[in-house]
This record gives sequence, structure tokens and C-alpha cells, in this order.
Amino acid sequence: MPGKHVPTLESQERRFALVLFVPALAVLLLTTTVPLVYLAWNSLYRLDLSMPWLSGFTGLGNYAKMGSDPRFWNSLLLTLVYTGSTVVLQVVIGLSLALLVLRFPRGQGLLRIAAILPIVLAPVVVGLFWRTLVLAPDVGLVDLVTRSVGLGSHNWLGDPQLALISVIAIHTWQWTPFAFLVLLATLATLPADVYEAARLDRASAWQRFRYITLPLIRPAIVMVLILRMMTALSAFAAIFAATGGGPGSATEILNLYAYRTSFSELNLGYGSSLAMVLMSITIAISYLMFRLRRARA
Amino acid sequence: MKPSASHRQIALAAVAGFGLAVWTFPVIWGLLTSFKTERDVLAYPPVWLFKPTLDSYREVLFGASSILPNIVSSSIVSLAATVITMLFAIPASYALARLRYPAKRASGFYVLVTQMLPPVGLIIPYYLVLQKIGWLDTYTGLTVIYLTFSLPFAIWLMVSYFEDIPFEMEEAALLDRAGRLRALWYVILPQVRGGIAVTAIFVFLNAWNEFMFAVVLGGNRVRPVTVAMFNFISVEQTLWSRLAAGAILAMLPVILIGIFAQRHIVKGLTVGAVKGGGRR
Repeated sequence: MPGKHVPTLESQERRFALVLFVPALAVLLLTTTVPLVYLAWNSLYRLDLSMPWLSGFTGLGNYAKMGSDPRFWNSLLLTLVYTGSTVVLQVVIGLSLALLVLRFPRGQGLLRIAAILPIVLAPVVVGLFWRTLVLAPDVGLVDLVTRSVGLGSHNWLGDPQLALISVIAIHTWQWTPFAFLVLLATLATLPADVYEAARLDRASAWQRFRYITLPLIRPAIVMVLILRMMTALSAFAAIFAATGGGPGSATEILNLYAYRTSFSELNLGYGSSLAMVLMSITIAISYLMFRLRRARA
Repeated sequence: MKPSASHRQIALAAVAGFGLAVWTFPVIWGLLTSFKTERDVLAYPPVWLFKPTLDSYREVLFGASSILPNIVSSSIVSLAATVITMLFAIPASYALARLRYPAKRASGFYVLVTQMLPPVGLIIPYYLVLQKIGWLDTYTGLTVIYLTFSLPFAIWLMVSYFEDIPFEMEEAALLDRAGRLRALWYVILPQVRGGIAVTAIFVFLNAWNEFMFAVVLGGNRVRPVTVAMFNFISVEQTLWSRLAAGAILAMLPVILIGIFAQRHIVKGLTVGAVKGGGRR
């Protein structure tokens, strides 16, 4: 900058801001964006470490291959089922419980601490705990209950249909407390006088919920939906620990399929293209959800 | 009080109690299992009164498949990731929260997007590159990839703490011709000490719990404790009480943090979405 030019406060502030922000920006570019460009590049290659002699450029070959890959379509369907069901269950159960607990303040503290527990546990530990202590045939908690009420013993993680239900239950168990805590905190901030007025107008409990509570907490619900969808779309450790994606591919959501393709079958090119698809889905969904949040909030 | 009202209270309490039981029981059951012998674990009907033993803990800590080295691994990676993350996140989040500079909104949004990337998309390029330069199974490699999820998270959480400071403090400092850096160091940073502590704890917790990166990029030398849980479980057999004891030990830090930092947890988990959604 020429010497005659005295730096204004504004340009001084700008320079200071850049000095503070650019290092972090550089780290993020280098650690996230550059690898993603490399991922996109790899997805155009045939890169199979178990058959390295076949490696080479294939253009969109990997993507074309997905069309006729039943395992891909299966994983896509499972991702939809898994994400949709876990997210809906979390919000419905979390909201019901929060509405319920709101009515008696005593004991809330205890329930809050209990709710923190699943959230802070590592998903891999949650998956292992459920696989052994909760769902193992004969000795698991669930089997103890079903046996004692005469429903008999089941192979909760070995039967394809039960396994899908089980991994959905595990995910819902771990993340419902989050919806519960956020919605409870939001409900506690709602103005009491609106409800008083509604009561004077003889609005029923359902009407009060439908026309007062729900519109007021909608932003919080959408936020919970966004965050939990992201978590569900890239769920990995709990499923990996509980079923490994199996039996067969019964619990193999797209994230697990991309992982298994890359690191069990060592087909990194095809794995890259699967990861690209998952990433596009994640970005598209978050974009839609943010628009929804802005439109309604 | 009308009887119907009190009945309702009891029903409500019962449902809340059920929630409490469902969320805590697997952990309590794990705790009980960790003090049982392998024989007591498999007893049917389950034994509630058993002679507690510390054998599993002894085995897990000092036995053949001790997880102590893994706890050390986890500590090194998590601490390194936390320190580096905070060094970059604190200045960046201050700029994002308080200063005017070109493309500020866009850069804030960029940080938010990097937080949403599915980890499986990152691990493939990292694996290929780290393999090429021989950084698989090293602390450096694992720490670098941990920055990908901890840095965006920490930046957005810190922004919310910087925004809570009243503007007047900064202005007063600047009027004293203190210079921006000095104002930041002596006036602003002491105000966000609490926020820095909470953020650092969260970054540590997330790094400690991480599994996918650890299992692919780790190895025999660098093997975080989340991966070591599989020492006790295989297709052939499960070492029930050792697995339980190992899991309890591995999760002890995060459980303590969870109870201790309870009030901050919801804030930490909702960061980004709240700010990012409202800002754009």
C-alpha cells in the first residue's frame, strides 16, 4: 500500500480479520476440499487393489455400473428407510416425552442426566453393547423379556428383517434423547399467557397443541430433523459393530456399502463413486431442509 | 385434588420412568456385567445377586489384551486434535463473529458445509494419500483427518460465545489505542474462557469417540480405544464381562464429561444449524 495512504479503520479491520481467518480457511481447504476433489477424480477411475492390473480411467463407468447393481439400489432403499424411520421416531418420541415431562417439573433433572448418557457414548460402544447385552439370543435383555412373557427367543441381529428393525432401534435409542432435550428446552421458553388466552377461549388440549405449540416450535423441529438426518445418513459405527451391514446386506445402508466396497473388497474406484452419491444426497437434503427452515421460520 | 388428576400424574410419572429406564438400563446392565464372572453372565435366569469380582478389569488393564496402550493412543490423538483445532478455531471464529471482511457470509457458509460432509467421502482419498506418503498408522495422519470434523464444529461453537460479549468492551479497549491484537488477547479472550473450555471438551469428546477413521487409518501402532473394543468380541466368541469392563473404562471420560458439562451439551450439539440457518 502506498505510503501517503493512511489506513482507515475499516481497511485495518479487514486486514486483521483476514490474518485471523485465513489460516483456518487454508486448513479446511487443504483437509476437506482438496481430498474431495481427489475423491471425485478417483470416482472416474477403475481402482481395484485386489485386481490392480485392471486399473485405469473409465470416465463415468463407475456411475453407469450403479444402474445395474442391485446391491446399490438395495443400499439406497435401506438408507431411505433407515433415515426416514429413525428421524421420525426420534422426533415423535422425543416430542411426546418432552410434552409429558414439561407437566411435572420434579424429576426433570434426573431424566436430563439419563438422556445425556446415550448421546455421549461412542456409537461403536453402543453398537457392541446392544449386540451383546441387549440383543444377544438367550442372554440379552430383550430376549430375557420375550422369553419370560412367552414370546420365545429370537435371533435379533441374525434374521434379515429383525436385524433392520434392530439397527433402527439402536439408532433411535441413541439419538432420541437429543430431540427430547432440544424440544424440552424450546417448550420451556414458550410464553404462558398465550396458553392462558387459549384456555379462556375454551380451546381443547389438541387445539392448543396444533395451533399454538406446533407453529412455535416448528423451527426447533426442523433443526432437529436436519441434524439427525445428517447423522443417520452417515451412520456407521453402531451398525458396523452390531451387524457389520449383514446378515448378507440386510442392514447395509449406502454409507456402509461405500465403506465395504472400498475397504473390504478394496475396490476404491467404485467406492469413491458410491461416496460421491452419498455426498450429493446429503448436500441436496440439507439444502432442501435449510430452505424449508427459512420459509417457515 | 381430584382422583383423576392424581391418577394422571402417576401415569405421567410411569411413562417418564420408563424413558429413564430405557436410556440408562443398557449402561447399568453393562456396569453389572463388568463385575460378573463369565459364568454368571450366561446364567439363566439372570443372577442379580452375585459375588462381584474385579477380574475383568484386571484383565482388561493388565492382561494379554490390555487396552492401556489404546487409551494412550486415544489420548494422544484426541489431545493433539483438540490443541490444533483450538489454535485455528479461536481466531477464525472471532473474525467470523465480530469483524467485517470481504466474503464473510460465504466463508461462514463454507465452514458450515464442510461440517456436513459424510466421513466416508473423506476417508477414501485420505487412505490413498496417506498410504502413498507412508503415514498410515501414524499419529500425524489420524490427527489431520480429525481436524476435518472438529475444526468446523469448533469454529461455529466459538462464534456463539464471541457473539455473547457486549460490543462496548471491545470499543473501550480500542479507544485506548490498545491495538486490535492486544484488545483481543487481554480483553476479549478472558471473556470467553468458559466457551473455550466447553468447546475444547467437545472437540476432545468427539475425537475420543471417533471410530471409522481410526479403524481404517490406524493400525497396530496407533489403535484408539474404540477400535480396541473388538479385542473382546469375534465371530467365535464373546468375552462378555471383559467387553463390558473395557467399554466402561473407555467410556468413563465421556460419561464424566457428559454429566459434568450437561448444561452445555444441547448447545454444543445444535451448533451450526442454529446459526447457519438463521444467518443466510
